[in-house]
Amino acid sequence: MSVRSEALQWAQRICARTNPEPHQLLEIPADAGMEEAQEAFHKAARILHPDLHRTTLTPEDLEVVTTAYAKVAGAYQEFRSQRMTTTRMRPMHIGPTAAPAPRPIAPPTDGPIPTRTTPIPKSAHVVPETTPSAASSAMSSKALIYYRKAELALRRGDLRGAMLQLKMAIGADPASTFLRSALGEVEAEVAKQLK
Amino acid sequence: MSVALGIDLGTTNSVAAIATSTGVEFILGPRGDRVHPSVVAFPSSGGVVVGADAKRYRLTEPQHVIHSAKRFIGQNIRSPLVQLAMTGVRYKLVEGPNQQPIVVVRDRKMTMPEISSNVLLHLKRSAERQLGQPVKEAVITVPANFTDGQRQATKEAGRLAGLDVMRLINEPTAAALAHGFGRDRQELVCVFDFGGGTFDVSILRINNEMFEVLASDGDFFLGGDDLDRALAEVLAADFTRQLRVDPRPHAALMMKLMMGAEAIKCHLSENDAAEGEIDGLDLPGGVSGKLPFSVTRKQFEDLVGGYTQRTIEVTRQVMAAAGVSPRDIGDVLCVGGSTRIPVIRRKLAEVFGREPNHTINPDEVVAQGAAIQAGSLTATLSAGTGMGARDAVATAGHSSLATGNRTLPMGVAKRPVLLDVNPATLAVHTAGGFTERLLDKNAPIPIERTRVFTTARDNQQRVEIDCCRGENRKYVENEPLGTLVLEDLPAKARGDLKIEVSFRVDADGILHVRALDQQSGVRQEAHLQVLGAPSTSDSAAGAE
Repeated sequence: MSVRSEALQWAQRICARTNPEPHQLLEIPADAGMEEAQEAFHKAARILHPDLHRTTLTPEDLEVVTTAYAKVAGAYQEFRSQRMTTTRMRPMHIGPTAAPAPRPIAPPTDGPIPTRTTPIPKSAHVVPETTPSAASSAMSSKALIYYRKAELALRRGDLRGAMLQLKMAIGADPASTFLRSALGEVEAEVAKQLK
Repeated sequence: MSVALGIDLGTTNSVAAIATSTGVEFILGPRGDRVHPSVVAFPSSGGVVVGADAKRYRLTEPQHVIHSAKRFIGQNIRSPLVQLAMTGVRYKLVEGPNQQPIVVVRDRKMTMPEISSNVLLHLKRSAERQLGQPVKEAVITVPANFTDGQRQATKEAGRLAGLDVMRLINEPTAAALAHGFGRDRQELVCVFDFGGGTFDVSILRINNEMFEVLASDGDFFLGGDDLDRALAEVLAADFTRQLRVDPRPHAALMMKLMMGAEAIKCHLSENDAAEGEIDGLDLPGGVSGKLPFSVTRKQFEDLVGGYTQRTIEVTRQVMAAAGVSPRDIGDVLCVGGSTRIPVIRRKLAEVFGREPNHTINPDEVVAQGAAIQAGSLTATLSAGTGMGARDAVATAGHSSLATGNRTLPMGVAKRPVLLDVNPATLAVHTAGGFTERLLDKNAPIPIERTRVFTTARDNQQRVEIDCCRGENRKYVENEPLGTLVLEDLPAKARGDLKIEVSFRVDADGILHVRALDQQSGVRQEAHLQVLGAPSTSDSAAGAE
């Protein structure tokens, strides 16, 4: 089979999926690791990347291949951010809220009445929601606010931001050993990255 | 047969090249130089002059000489950084439609894409003369941190110059491509791109023909011009002390001092001290004055220390974002004229524990990469291009490659695959003033993601989707990009309506937003009308 028709068939298969999970677009198992995801993405890039087909496909077929490749790239981003969230959140021992970032298909929850007519993502209220956890009992309420900000920073992958917020939290509640150990873990992570 | 040009459209200088079967051939200026100043003059004698010839008018009529257009293209004129940059130019800029900057020369008004199109047209015509073939297609490079509006405006400039802009690629990526194409290597490279007006750092993983950007960041308003200005301010203070006239309100005097500062800066890259005098300074009252100066390299390094430190900080941040450490980096590529400054190379050597690569030509490597990508997109690359391009890199500064060999068949090269990244996080405004991120900074492009949103109130028939760029969770802290409106939605209880919002960033780094009501099929699609960008007529919106 020529590279051209392989690419087109692959692209049509991807575009035919409705509401796919990231691992389905990457065509890897749901419990696959980062290496597998990266390999799948690189394979897609080598075969599907629209630049390789610019001179050989019709504009319509090129659009199909471009859309498919863009969706695979989007899936790779989503997969990567989910994995980074879970692996970085786990050492913080914070119970149920440490689950992967909420997905847009999560059931809608009631939120505050918005002041303007913008759409609410169904997950918007899930993220900042405070559920009883080890964290809330381990520090003062003011420190908890900083701790939540640190959590959000971690979800963004912003380790330095998380460190800063944790330090603010310790400033608000210097007695909390929980916060100190959390800071230690983030600092270790930063040191590991700098190495 | 037409050829596809690779163009490095720079703040101060531009370079154009084409891929040949034996390497990369540069387009030469009237005096045989590869570097074309990005300067457009509208002299009193009439006509439009571009390039080296236009630079001559800087002294006689600075208000008619448009330079550094790249600092303003696709920018919102109300942005504080743009206002600051405006103090550094002697031509007149006013606010035009959609808050875009408009150049006023005598009674003529021109948009920034129109100005830049003159530079591109000059390169296109020079290429056609040199190659004896029409040039219709081009790949143009842009700084990695260029925004959507800046990218759209650059494409518009190409279109106005009669070029089909096949692709915009990021300058650091182009440099890595020129460095790694045809080498069959696996390594991590850091591209440090410090040019006349912009600063970028990218970390790339090169795996044979695949060039994957892992992370990229930079500072759009930081370049060699800033170093010149810092030095010119010192010269202006000396001037006031010695000649008892403050030169700052006088455009022509300041231009002379800026040019003097640039010459001193370049001299200090080769020597430990610069001494001499700037003459031909026409003082008010018709007398001509001289300003003696004496600057050591150490003094200059102290003066610009804040700027150089900033570039090193950004480099460390980008490495952290890419998840790599300095020891993993196999090669450090210096791009842009400002990397000739010894203190920059010294600091990079400190960070990486190794000297930056000396073999690449910082002025030409980006255009080389653009030419290779142009050849790749038109499927005209041959195996010889990579080898020849590298020889050209190694011998950069010598004569251009012979044009006669262009038709020699050298076998087909493996086409490079560029995996570039999205320069900034893109998100939508949600209830409560927060944002919901759709596309992350440093995600590979082209990329598409769709999320399902719902309405916040009962019987809500109209939904506004405000799009923004930036990392902050709070909408107001980010840069607004534009708004998409969905109207005439069926009356439903809140939460029952399902609205699909798709963000796609294309291979040029330009955002396209689509919104769709899943049940009724009310669809809105738009290229966001970004503030500061030229108005586009191709934004489509309508119900199906």
